[in-house]
Amino acid sequence: MILRLGLSGIIVAMMASSLVATEDMSKWLRPAEVPQPADNKLTPEKIELGKLLYFDVRLSSSEKVSCATCHHPKQGWSDLVPTPKAVGHEGAVGPRNSPVVLNTAYQNTQFWDGRAKTLEEQALGPIEADVEMNMPLDVLIPKLNGIKGYVALFEKAYPGEGLTEATLAKAIASFERTVVSTISPFDKYAMGKKDAISKKAQKGFELFKGKAHCIDCHDGFNFSDGSFHNIGLKDGELQGKELGRYLTKRRAAWYGVMKTPTLRDATKSAPYFHDGSAGTLHEVAHICGNGGRYKHNVKNKSTFMIDRELTKQEISDIVSFVESLTGPDMKLDIPTKFPQ
Amino acid sequence: MKKIIVAGLILSSALFGAEHVIDQKGKTFIPHAITVAVGDTLVFKNSDPFAHNAFTDNAANEFDTGMQAPGNDISIKVKAAGVFNVECAIHPNMLLTVTAK
Repeated sequence: MILRLGLSGIIVAMMASSLVATEDMSKWLRPAEVPQPADNKLTPEKIELGKLLYFDVRLSSSEKVSCATCHHPKQGWSDLVPTPKAVGHEGAVGPRNSPVVLNTAYQNTQFWDGRAKTLEEQALGPIEADVEMNMPLDVLIPKLNGIKGYVALFEKAYPGEGLTEATLAKAIASFERTVVSTISPFDKYAMGKKDAISKKAQKGFELFKGKAHCIDCHDGFNFSDGSFHNIGLKDGELQGKELGRYLTKRRAAWYGVMKTPTLRDATKSAPYFHDGSAGTLHEVAHICGNGGRYKHNVKNKSTFMIDRELTKQEISDIVSFVESLTGPDMKLDIPTKFPQ
Repeated sequence: MKKIIVAGLILSSALFGAEHVIDQKGKTFIPHAITVAVGDTLVFKNSDPFAHNAFTDNAANEFDTGMQAPGNDISIKVKAAGVFNVECAIHPNMLLTVTAK
């Protein structure tokens, strides 16, 4: 069973198929079909339940923080209050910039360091993390089981499975799977409307695929191929969470590497990079296009990070292109009332 | 004479194992599944214009090719029977399944 998400997805799929015969621009268009695990196929009941949980501050120990605090639809599914590093439980500052939730359904790894493979594996981590929602699951599950409204909604969504850690993760993951990109000006361009983006953005697209080599990592409809790189944001020895995927296993190739983020709706989610150290897309394009922030003394620096000798004009063109990847916000009724 | 050459090739293959080329192209392993014999060699090519890597954590066949530059070939001998996955440390979407008999 495949759930098709909204009219926009259907339009994209139809137009993409009609394009294949003339020009292969279909790789840039979001597939209407959202990947779903066999044991958690999407249903309206699961999605609605997951949405309530996602926005409910009672899932945090302080009852002030929800998933949406750091992954809010009004900020491109990133921090509601833009900060370089996520601010969670009682003002605690986390070790990394909040990654966006947009299109995570299509990713094969989750988190900046890829330590979870699925949204179900990912969903409970931030709830328990002391600098995020700081809520032990052995406290949360009984608490939610004490809310009759939630017990009833879990029974509707997951009949006979109960309100458990597993069904909590499944419900939140189900909602997150519906957080997908809408049709941007670039999508219209890719569908054949050649004046949908400016000439400057079109030049940027050519640079993106050509001289600048952005496509080497920011490939496919999500403008990320899911690859991991140390792009040289810091020199010398790395500490703690800066070690990236190396924390999951001490593999030499994983020292300091982080997952390539999507560029869709990037204009909404500044600041950028895993450490939030770039405030603008111009800065990002300059760093990525010209060999990284640090050229030397970067251990395991990605061989993809080559100085492409981009001019200011070329960087500006690339940014115009990336700006064309921003679509309208997806339609969403943010809940204001929660189960009692 | 032809029979001698064929016999020699068979003998050579039996002694040194066969070679199986795995290309890394378009951010995929080609082929993505292969059946080999213990003692055979996997030859990893890189036809992409950027680096790749191949590793497995299978205890009996553990290897890691490191950063493999475009155009380079790296040969890995299959040591033990079993089914194991090979991944790229850079591109987690790349997956090769090796069945060694």
